[in-house]
Amino acid sequence: MIAVELVLFQVLGRNFLTGGNVSNVFRHSVEIGLLALAMTPVILTGGIDLSVGSLMGLCAVLFGMMVKMLGLDPWVAGCLAVLCGAMGGAVNAGLVAGLKLPPLIVTLGTFSLFRGLAEAFTKGSESYSGFSEEFLALGNSDLAGVPTQVWILVAVGLGIWFLVHRTTYGRSLRAIGFAEEGARYAGLPVGRNLSLAYISAGAVAGLAAVILVARLGEARANAGIGYELLAITAVVLGGVSIFGGSGNVSGTVLGWISLAILNNGLTRISDYEILGEKVSSVARELSGLLTGLLLLSALALAASTKTLALRRARKQSTPDPQSP
Amino acid sequence: MTRKTFLLSAALLATLPFVSCKKSEDAGKLSVGFLLKSKGNQYFVTCEQGARAAAEELDIDLRVDGPISADPAKQNEIVENWITDGLDVIVAACENKDSLSTALRKAQDAGIKVITYDADAQPDARSFFSNQATAQGIGEKLIDTSASLTDGSGEFAIITGTLTSANLNEWIAAIKVRQAEKYPGMKLVDIRPCDDNKDKAQQEATNLLSAHPNLKAIVAVCSPGVPGAAEAVKQAGKTGAVKVVGLGLPSENRAYVKEGVTQAIILWNPEDLGYLAVHAGVALAKGNLTGGSESFKAGKLGNLEIEGDSIILGTPFTFTKENIDNFDF
Repeated sequence: MIAVELVLFQVLGRNFLTGGNVSNVFRHSVEIGLLALAMTPVILTGGIDLSVGSLMGLCAVLFGMMVKMLGLDPWVAGCLAVLCGAMGGAVNAGLVAGLKLPPLIVTLGTFSLFRGLAEAFTKGSESYSGFSEEFLALGNSDLAGVPTQVWILVAVGLGIWFLVHRTTYGRSLRAIGFAEEGARYAGLPVGRNLSLAYISAGAVAGLAAVILVARLGEARANAGIGYELLAITAVVLGGVSIFGGSGNVSGTVLGWISLAILNNGLTRISDYEILGEKVSSVARELSGLLTGLLLLSALALAASTKTLALRRARKQSTPDPQSP
Repeated sequence: MTRKTFLLSAALLATLPFVSCKKSEDAGKLSVGFLLKSKGNQYFVTCEQGARAAAEELDIDLRVDGPISADPAKQNEIVENWITDGLDVIVAACENKDSLSTALRKAQDAGIKVITYDADAQPDARSFFSNQATAQGIGEKLIDTSASLTDGSGEFAIITGTLTSANLNEWIAAIKVRQAEKYPGMKLVDIRPCDDNKDKAQQEATNLLSAHPNLKAIVAVCSPGVPGAAEAVKQAGKTGAVKVVGLGLPSENRAYVKEGVTQAIILWNPEDLGYLAVHAGVALAKGNLTGGSESFKAGKLGNLEIEGDSIILGTPFTFTKENIDNFDF
């Protein structure tokens, strides 16, 4: 899928596979990548977290207030914003793991709650800007030829990969997603591990908020609008089952990359005229449509190969010539 | 996927950077990026029409783009992609002033000339701002129009957004100064806030009509106020007797203007604004517009005044029954 995108945009677009643009592709999508990575453990448990985008908005605003109103050092405030994110995640965790409420409903609630808080703090329109150059460099400079924030993404990605694939914690997440009651009977600390997944998703949302503010130079309540859905799309594209139990982190990374390329590549298509209409002015509108098509066709493809394989396996196991 | 097919496709992909059937850009043509606040907004679509007209005239390569979602990061991403493409000029309307300024400063560092229009960036992130109208220009146009409709005499009232809104208060101040100076026969009887809500505006206007039976005109300085006031006047059966003038979008007021309830809508012409901004960007790149210039000749718009670092589009445009159908924003 990624290969098809690469070929298509290279042929149709301008300056697509150039160093500058490749670095743009990653710089612009680090926040969504972080959210997708943190969403993976949550979805592995069969849960979902719709609140991460809103939590980003809240953490961005809190970060801005801490720096601009309390005069905190941006790095200290950044760490505190991650902590705030973790606390937001803890709210989800308490309701999902503690009260055993369905995650879809809980995080739908906090989705409104967090954004609402962010808007209330800023009266909807106030914003914070004028951060120091050193802090803005986090979002706008390169380190060893790669956008600085990508290194953070790599670190977080490795951390989550390790947790999910190399620890008993990771195995227990899958067990919970596969059969929560079974995991409980097997003596796994279901509540604690579920909580950890939501709390870490919150903390990563806080981190993503800080990186977004560093990139934009402005903290505002509308940061991260719609990012939760893009993150979920990336995770599902990467082959993680939305019902929980199966999937891996490397799949999420691939899903995220294909989304990021789609988003950037579309803006590269330009200067073609179809029926007198400049294509560049249409391409961006197609992004939602194509994201949807990409997701649905990936799911359909996965499902149909599974059915085919199943049918073939059944055929081999029942070689009875009489059977239809 | 087997290892063999994987290697094969990887090898094919590796050749990609060398194949591109993209036509090369016309050498020597100035490339200008025109950034909209949002693509779905008819106001900006109209700005774009003006920008395209200017591009045609000046023979430049114009690229138009803008976000379609509420994501505040989108405008920055467009600008950063344009920096990568090495455009010569960026002409931008800022949705989020401070965050877009970060990207525009980067563009300036990369040697790209930056002009803003409609909504300004931080002064250090652009060279000039194409200013659609000054507070004075708007205020004076509103009171002049009302005065010409009421023969410069009688009571009038103002409907505003909120009493704390900075730009609306500047316009009201300009109205008061001009009225005291030129129309001593007119009398401002009340200023009512409508909280930027059409229904509230209608209710306030109804109250005004009963409290001041001699009222001759209502001036609405916020866009929901104009149709609100018009509805109140219409329902009170005072169509034509009480004039309605205001600042708003032609589309929201078309029905009332055609019925004769609202006499005039004041707004700049967005098409001219886009046209001016592109002209300014090109002049800046060619060195015809520099800091300290006092006026600027923008094609068909003629000589425009420059105040500090903003180029003033001129007096606002008046939409009336006769011309309102020519505009669809």
